[in-house]
Amino acid sequence: MEGELIMPETKKVTRRQFIKGSVGAVSAFTIVPRHVLGGPNNTPPSETFGGALIGCGGRGNGTFNAMGLEAKKLAICDVKFVGREDNKKVYTDFRRVLERKDIDVVAIATPPHWHALISIAAMQAGKDVLCEKPMTRFIAEGRAVAEAEKRYNRIFQVGTFGRFGRSRDPKSIEIHKIMASGLLKNNCKGVHIKSGGLKVKQWSGMVNAQPQPIPKSLDWDMYCGPSPLRPYHPHRHGGTHRGYWDYEGGGLADMGQHHFDPVQWVYAKDDTSPVEIEAYAPPAHPEACGMWGWVELKYADGMTFVMDSKEWPVSEQPAYDRKSAREVSLSDLSEDDQKKIKEMPDPQPLVSFAEAVKTRKRAGGNADAANRSATLLHLANIAIRTGRKLRYDPVKEQIIGDEEANRLVNPPMRAPWHL
Amino acid sequence: MAKQTSALAELIERLPDPDERGLLSNIDAGTVDSVISQIYEGGRKSLRALIDMLVEPGQGDDVKPRYALHCLAVRMCRPEEEKSRRVFAQTLASQLGGKKPKSVQKYLIQQLQVAGGKEVAAALGKMLQDEELYEPAAQALVAIGDGAAGQLRDALPKAKGKIKITIVQNLGVVRDGESVDALKKALNDDDREIRLAAGWGLANIVDAGSVDLLLDAADVEATYERNTATKACLLLAERLLDAGRKDAAVKIYKHLRSTRSSSDEAYICEAAKEGLAAAAK
Repeated sequence: MEGELIMPETKKVTRRQFIKGSVGAVSAFTIVPRHVLGGPNNTPPSETFGGALIGCGGRGNGTFNAMGLEAKKLAICDVKFVGREDNKKVYTDFRRVLERKDIDVVAIATPPHWHALISIAAMQAGKDVLCEKPMTRFIAEGRAVAEAEKRYNRIFQVGTFGRFGRSRDPKSIEIHKIMASGLLKNNCKGVHIKSGGLKVKQWSGMVNAQPQPIPKSLDWDMYCGPSPLRPYHPHRHGGTHRGYWDYEGGGLADMGQHHFDPVQWVYAKDDTSPVEIEAYAPPAHPEACGMWGWVELKYADGMTFVMDSKEWPVSEQPAYDRKSAREVSLSDLSEDDQKKIKEMPDPQPLVSFAEAVKTRKRAGGNADAANRSATLLHLANIAIRTGRKLRYDPVKEQIIGDEEANRLVNPPMRAPWHL
Repeated sequence: MAKQTSALAELIERLPDPDERGLLSNIDAGTVDSVISQIYEGGRKSLRALIDMLVEPGQGDDVKPRYALHCLAVRMCRPEEEKSRRVFAQTLASQLGGKKPKSVQKYLIQQLQVAGGKEVAAALGKMLQDEELYEPAAQALVAIGDGAAGQLRDALPKAKGKIKITIVQNLGVVRDGESVDALKKALNDDDREIRLAAGWGLANIVDAGSVDLLLDAADVEATYERNTATKACLLLAERLLDAGRKDAAVKIYKHLRSTRSSSDEAYICEAAKEGLAAAAK
């Protein structure tokens, strides 16, 4: 009996019941392990979690640890575990992992074409989710994840955390308040330029990859999942998948959410998207992500984000020179409006994933916000792929007047997968 | 024809070569645009010659012709090219079902997903019974939208196995009201994936007459199927509320509130309560 205590209860009060909001009445006695109550060297139940890692490539453990929780890794799952799976600890099919009732939190570090579907399936199974960036492969997936987050009242956090630091920075807070106030109306002259750092060439795809035998340890059909079933080539799997439209969106999608999610918070754009998007790029390859020069994304109020690759054109062509970077500042406002900003309360601190799971408050990088920053990347890539200037409706989340471009907003999935 | 093919091959050869890693890193936009413009000016004959340069993967180097065909497809989507786009799409569609390798036909279908319209719906519909082409054909049809429902509906009676899952799911994607009875029947299929696709499809179509069937389907014990079928119920309830059908939505929410009573499903019970609160407003 050492290590166990007696406490009155009809049901064991588990952390999972706390999270799922159904702790029953207490009226009888039962034996409860010491760790349930906490104490020296024991973690109390509200601090211990059953965790699963889905997607065990290079980012897997980092994503699991980024949850910041005392989570026990009860299950690992990857389509490359064929022949190793025991369906107790090691899995190849995420659906079996999500059936487990002892798993509370799920870290998702698969390639991005699986992010939305697994996030939604996890939340509909009652789990909280930390999902590696980029949140999605295309725009409609982000809205579907946000709907699931709301429908099931689950915690979702995308795996990029730069906004947390910016939300504590006084200068960023001031800009955030100016933008959130709406006092600039539609006359915002801000221009944010991200030059380089988007790994364009590094995460480009091969255009001449020839079919190769599928490794016995890999379930290639499941790997392709909702994306088109293509002949196997190792460059499509294991990190270099980033270079293919089927699975991600090149360096722009891979690094873009790191760079632009914090900026989106600073400029108070978590609930909207750009209305005009224009790219400078050569005609894109149908399967392999490739080179591009720059993309301008302009919001309805005039705020402009620029992605400047610094990697194309390779020589003798001009770098991006259409606009200069310009921060929004108090001096953009009248004296009366400046006073209003100074009197505004600071925004609420952003809630970390760990805190959100424990308190059931919404995470700072929640699905709505992450959907908007992922949409920036997808709109940029659609402009690159179509070679056309796009107009976007941030409310309907549709491209205006370009039916063929809209086909990239919500491309059909391979059955049985759907949003 | 041989002379034209030779000229086209020379033209295509001007497109960029992959670098040592297989990437198009040294790509010059002006050269690509010039080559594509010249193919475009060659009209339907040039297009057919270009299609004839496509080969099965592993059977030769057709990297440049494939890239050129895709660039043409994207160009055809410019608003001022509508007439040319139809000709382009019909030319590609005319090659389906013939002797060309299935992998080549698959690529043509994928380009129709980029630039095709209702004029190729029937040609794509014929591919829905092909074991190797039904997936890209269904995806192209759904992306095109116009004319897709009829083709999918017509293909359903003969469909089996994976083809049937694909067609059932996509009837839901295109929200085909005329398929409600067929989807209701599919709710009883032996295949779990077909049952789930049918349930989700009925919810996406917002069929108020499916409330009882979806609730029954969601009361199964198997966890994954129960969770997924329950999602269809919640989706249907949300859509019914949006459509002003409070009575039907409330029936779903009340059922879920009373049946999801275990601690493991408390979050579903809470979702149902939230729905009832929304319905009461």
